[in-house]
Amino acid sequence: MRRVVITGMGAVTPLGADVAALVDGIENRRSGVRRMPGWEAYRGLRSLVAAPAEVRDEKSIPRRNRRSMGRMSFFAVRAAEEALADAVIERARLGSGRVGCAIGSTMGGAEALSQTFETMSHEKDLAKLSSMKFFQCLAHTAAMNVSQYLGITGMVLAPSGACASSLQALGIGYDLIKCGRQDIVLCGGSEEVHPTVTAAFDILYATSTGYNEEPQETPRPFDKKRDGLVCGEGCGIVVLEELEHARARGAAIHGEVVGFHTCASGDHVSESSHASIERCLRGALEDAAVSAAEVDYVNAHATATRHGDAEEARAIAEVFGDRVPVSAFKGYIGHTLGASGAIELIAALVGMRRGVLYPTLNLQEADDCGGIRHVLERTASRVDLMVKNSFAFGGINASLVCRRAS
Amino acid sequence: MTEQQVIQWTNEVFEQAFEIERSMLTADAHIFEDLGLDSLDIVDLVVALQDRFGIRIREDERIRTVETLGDLYAYIVMVGQEAALGGEG
Repeated sequence: MRRVVITGMGAVTPLGADVAALVDGIENRRSGVRRMPGWEAYRGLRSLVAAPAEVRDEKSIPRRNRRSMGRMSFFAVRAAEEALADAVIERARLGSGRVGCAIGSTMGGAEALSQTFETMSHEKDLAKLSSMKFFQCLAHTAAMNVSQYLGITGMVLAPSGACASSLQALGIGYDLIKCGRQDIVLCGGSEEVHPTVTAAFDILYATSTGYNEEPQETPRPFDKKRDGLVCGEGCGIVVLEELEHARARGAAIHGEVVGFHTCASGDHVSESSHASIERCLRGALEDAAVSAAEVDYVNAHATATRHGDAEEARAIAEVFGDRVPVSAFKGYIGHTLGASGAIELIAALVGMRRGVLYPTLNLQEADDCGGIRHVLERTASRVDLMVKNSFAFGGINASLVCRRAS
Repeated sequence: MTEQQVIQWTNEVFEQAFEIERSMLTADAHIFEDLGLDSLDIVDLVVALQDRFGIRIREDERIRTVETLGDLYAYIVMVGQEAALGGEG
């Protein structure tokens, strides 16, 4: 069986323009959450905070490529460029047909979608509709733009499983390489902050509303005072590569993907279920052919909603007991939705390489949900095997198992 | 509207929407071959011209015969004159 390793990583996040800025922010317990100017104008929007990222130097992208990119695609091409540079993969290789990309998102480009609706609904006139809005808001806009910009001619896919999208993208890339259909797949997710996105969660009472005046105190994964999620934006891209392919070109290896599972609750569109999260975690361990006792660290999804954190903690406790250290990174970067799995995996992989467990920011007093072992401080610890967990609206779960590079 | 104004406003659209340098904007420049626009750009060119000149040309088949910048200047002048005549009528 072909083995799949990680040879490159790239990230644009609320903490900065690359992986180094992301990890530096986490190392220094910085929060990317801000009060969002102008959001007071939306009547009924109670959550006025978000974790925005910065679009940088977009004019250096040729206009022919740039014109079809919205915010999430700018994030994606920058993260993909960083990941390829990290993997030392030259662009000439990308047109071989053996290199693909799988980049997911929750709903495509929210900003372009909103602008299109405004034009159509208010003016009821197509005369003002740009040809490019459609390409900027497509569900696969990030994947499409990355492949067009970089000249990737293999399989281009855009899994959309809401907040599990990027972990599903990694699972797809893992399977494509394992079964021999591709040698390299750029995998991840991209997302953009927009009031319509926060509003979608706000009307479901899933957002944080009590920290508008002290935004850096929220979200608070697993904390007693948690009051909901905070939307963030950015992109995480991981280069997955077949092991012998990577060895043949002398690539540095960040870790190995050894197991993946995704499954659904088949139960409720918004209420996460500990039973199905547990089933997903066990499925990933089974795929990796490892026992729960071998796992050294779990990076949780933990959006900081009352219900979701409790269900996930219970599932983790059922599988791992209270032995395995658990932390979550949304206190630093908010909930980057479809990008969260890949971004958080990248930070955890850097921690694994450095022999460090990074703590959960804003976790001051753990809620007694599930009885899991929280990482409260930066802790030196060797991690040989870790699990990244995600789950999403629609009852979707995804879990990935990674092994330390030998 | 004078012909000079049409040329100036049209050139501004090409500079701003398509980032083409003013020095390339000559009457004999071919919109596809010399200025590098493609079929998608033409959609946005029409949107930008409609907005700039307050005219409606999206459904006008004659826009399809435009090849050079000079053709485009002449076409807009013609559409402007027709609108003015229509206004008088």
